[in-house]
Amino acid sequence: MSATRELIARLREQLGESAPLSPAGPALPLTPPPRRVFPSPRTRSSLQGQAAAHTTALVGIGRVGTRYATDVVLQFQAELAVAHHAVASLLPEEWIEQNGLLNLQTRVSDHQEFLLRPDLGRRLSDASRQALQTRARKDIDIQPILADGLSAEACIGSGMEVLGALIGECESRGWTVGTPMCARFGRVWLQDEIGELLGAKVCIIILGERPGLGTGDGLSAYVVHNPAIGKTDSDRNMISNIHARGTSPNSAASRLADLAGAMLEQGTSGVGLDLSRVAPGNTATELRAPQVRESLVEVGR
Amino acid sequence: MILEPIRPRILSVQRIPDAHPALLRSYGADPERHQSLGLITCDQDDSTFVALDEATKHAPVDVVYARSFYAGAAHASGPLSGEVLGVLAAAGPEEIDEGLRAAVACLEHDACFYTADAQGETAVFPHVVTSLGHYLSKEAGLEVGDAMAYLVAPPMEATIAFDRALKEANVRAVKIFGPPTETNFAAAWLTGELAECEAAAAAFARAVVEVARSPLYR
Repeated sequence: MSATRELIARLREQLGESAPLSPAGPALPLTPPPRRVFPSPRTRSSLQGQAAAHTTALVGIGRVGTRYATDVVLQFQAELAVAHHAVASLLPEEWIEQNGLLNLQTRVSDHQEFLLRPDLGRRLSDASRQALQTRARKDIDIQPILADGLSAEACIGSGMEVLGALIGECESRGWTVGTPMCARFGRVWLQDEIGELLGAKVCIIILGERPGLGTGDGLSAYVVHNPAIGKTDSDRNMISNIHARGTSPNSAASRLADLAGAMLEQGTSGVGLDLSRVAPGNTATELRAPQVRESLVEVGR
Repeated sequence: MILEPIRPRILSVQRIPDAHPALLRSYGADPERHQSLGLITCDQDDSTFVALDEATKHAPVDVVYARSFYAGAAHASGPLSGEVLGVLAAAGPEEIDEGLRAAVACLEHDACFYTADAQGETAVFPHVVTSLGHYLSKEAGLEVGDAMAYLVAPPMEATIAFDRALKEANVRAVKIFGPPTETNFAAAWLTGELAECEAAAAAFARAVVEVARSPLYR
């Protein structure tokens, strides 16, 4: 009840009016403006819900009117922030030595240049070429390399685990493995120059992959046979999504070793490699278990 | 029966989602900030001013135009004219809808004139705005959130009652609109603590009733 109506009701009593104040309320033949232009309830079919349960991709998210629901928009922004954060992360130089790896630098001088000049991230600095010549083991079967790539966060997170598992796997198969090394501001094709310099038969680079929505901690590994500057992507095999919700470090190591083994045996890599002759673990195509999208926002009820 | 609510009749409610800049400018809106207009006509001007102010508290709307028509609703220029046209302006139609809803709700449930005599011929508007919105606060030169007694009655009754209200309550006169207003009434805006504004409005309404009861003796 409004303040004015209350005071009028009191005043009526004082003035001897016994009947109660007649009620307020709509007494007008008036059509009010529409409540909303669009229907408010979120629409999402059960099929959409089931489909969405099988992927972390943004499918089956429903809609409100013609728009996304608020929690979808917020989740998207939060996941994008995770990716941005990963791209912006830097690999501390001391981290490489603390982990007992040979410290390599590319021709990149700072992070901004790294993002803008992929060509510079594919070549070693003169000092690092020198270090490689003097300090690294040569003429080996397998040369493993770790690099920050586009997510230093991922490299710091699980790089050592994957590298260690890979070295162990290769040694157990009787191959000679090169000096463990790590390159800062490195890109995939850096493996060509390093492998060529060291005379490695197969070179494997493990590096932070381009972050996607909500995934800043993923590593990829690229394998090339007979590495040399001038090799292209068609000469390489790779596995991606090495992270907690994807391929585990141990599984990645055994699959990489399978690939390397096939390369040593067939004498080629990339499109020339006959994947049907690679050990079954690498070509198995069993369906992945449904994944749950990690929620980064709280939805009020 | 005295002090019976006289329900305002809302005569027309219209929206212009994307108004022409020339129209926006001529009604006091700013084409840089405003795109949509909401219009309302009603047969009670003062109730509508209060309702438009209420709209500014519920939605990001500006009251760009609010004027009474001469001689009031009894002499309206057409069936949809009443005695006032109020115009809300906003960045978009959603805001306008929100504002119009608030204004209509205020006219339906709060702001109205009351009868001050048994015949229902004398009308009094002893309204208390508990918390001013952007519109009336600017018109009155008060702060948003201040309390204000918005008092209206015919010239004779109003003059006696203004005096009574100012003397019986601890309030300050913000503006007194002596007769004739466009609608041939007289009005006053008084401010103070909320309880004092209520006391002023009650004293005002009581005085109007008393003058109406004994017009020839004082």
